[in-house]
Amino acid sequence: MSTLAVAKKDFQDALRSKALWGLSIIFILLSLLIAYAFTEFTAMMEVEEQTAQGLAYFLASQIGLFVSITAIVIAYKAIAGERESGSIKILLSLPHTRRDVLLGKVLGRSATLAVPTLIGLVAGAALGSVLMGEFAIVSLSALLVMSLVFVVTYISIMVGISALTGSTSRASMLTIGFFLVFEILWGVVSIGIVWLTNGLSLPTEFPNWVYLVNQVPPSAAFTTGLTALMPGDIAGVGTPEFEAFYATPWVGVIMLAFWLVVPLAIGYRQFSKADL
Amino acid sequence: MAAIETLELRKRFGDDILALDGVDLRVDEGEIFGFLGPNGAGKSTTINVLLDFVRPTSGSATVLGMDAQEESQEIRRRTGVLPEGYQVYGRLTGRQHVQFVIDSKEVDDDPDALLERVGIPEAADRKAGGYSKGMKQRLTLAMALVGEPELLILDEPSTGLDPAGAREIREIVREEAERGATIFFSSHIMEQVEAVCDRVGILRAGELVAVDSIDGLRDAAGDGATMRVELAEVTDDAIAIVESVSGVTEVRRRDGGLTVSVGNGSKTRVLSALEDAGHEVTDFRTEETSLEEIFMSYTEGSR
Repeated sequence: MSTLAVAKKDFQDALRSKALWGLSIIFILLSLLIAYAFTEFTAMMEVEEQTAQGLAYFLASQIGLFVSITAIVIAYKAIAGERESGSIKILLSLPHTRRDVLLGKVLGRSATLAVPTLIGLVAGAALGSVLMGEFAIVSLSALLVMSLVFVVTYISIMVGISALTGSTSRASMLTIGFFLVFEILWGVVSIGIVWLTNGLSLPTEFPNWVYLVNQVPPSAAFTTGLTALMPGDIAGVGTPEFEAFYATPWVGVIMLAFWLVVPLAIGYRQFSKADL
Repeated sequence: MAAIETLELRKRFGDDILALDGVDLRVDEGEIFGFLGPNGAGKSTTINVLLDFVRPTSGSATVLGMDAQEESQEIRRRTGVLPEGYQVYGRLTGRQHVQFVIDSKEVDDDPDALLERVGIPEAADRKAGGYSKGMKQRLTLAMALVGEPELLILDEPSTGLDPAGAREIREIVREEAERGATIFFSSHIMEQVEAVCDRVGILRAGELVAVDSIDGLRDAAGDGATMRVELAEVTDDAIAIVESVSGVTEVRRRDGGLTVSVGNGSKTRVLSALEDAGHEVTDFRTEETSLEEIFMSYTEGSR
């Protein structure tokens, strides 16, 4: 109940953010454009399997960037900003525990990000389906569900980071740092890990476990996890071509679960013992 | 029962800032308690400990009979707070603020009635970001009043208010006390607490240096009052008589009368001693030591 009261207030507050609406409109337009481009492009290239499922993947590939950037924008101040301005004193003079506050923030800001994300996806899927005359209900539902999980996960990471500090400038550095390391530079990090474990040189063939390392970034985990939910196979995506107990797209789902829980737990540990 | 009780409360920030140095404070149920001290004396730190915003280095605090750390949520359910150094949510309206408190405390109050009570009914639908400092203060007071709390903790409630606004707040404080609430309110200005408080505690540099009623503080402040006595005829004999009265510390002849520094209980004795000796007192008045001076003597003096 307490968590819901915080979530409701937070949702009302964030809904009035102009930055959020700007990004949302861009994303919705982008989805429509992608759906249109996908059908035009595949028709032009005379791809035979021009499917709504393919469209779902195409849309999914755009979500990673939108969700991660927007999550940073709307959530990096979630806790740090309230501590810096002093509004946390209003929040915590009410009968909320610090855990209620963290969970309420995750819920409220997830809802805030889920609205434009889902609207954008549904709009893009609808346009694409009309243009192709085919509607892949299972694939698109899987995309919506997985996107929702992804939104909550990313917000949870950002709220967790925000709970580490009482300074918004530090919070912005930490969240942007996270984005750089895990979303932009991870390819380099992944190669670096191979280089280190291979005795400071690069092997001619990369070991299989690099597949796992590559699932670490939340958006990669999202795309991989999506293939676990999608019916059928799509060439070039998803299931790796070697034998190992971890050679399954469900690794992505597990990785997302890790990101959903661990950063928030660490943030909570810090926040629960902080002097405000 | 004590509404608030702290024992040997100590709080250290970092290595060299000792914000509270062993504060033993007791506020009884139903009283209006003024918590005084200059800025930086540790008033807000004390309040922050009571609300579990900061954790004490040592010592303990109980509020409404409950441990301030272990049972903080229940304490805050039954307490209304006007914090210091807060910020409102700029993008939410006044009504949404009050509604948020109503939702949080799971009570059934009417937000408009509360905004009316603090004098900003017309601002209910406006975003609080555009409020003046005084309006924000009134809004936060309305939020503190939600759910008829047993205890009101008001940290510098008059901040940002004009004298009329400060008076309205005192009026509300009295009404809440009549309802049976305990009120703990801090200020760095003596005048603001003198009019409403049953008792006052003075904090200086993290230590509680005095706890008493206003009158008690006046007495304890020593010199008490200056008394002006007009006599039909001022003689050395009259001066000698006044000087011999116990409690009198200084007598000066001025403009056909005497200026007497006297302890509080000795005023009538001065008058009767003069009249017994046959001097005619044509007029007298006492000038009480101002509370501000008493406050200063505690917070700046060598006590």
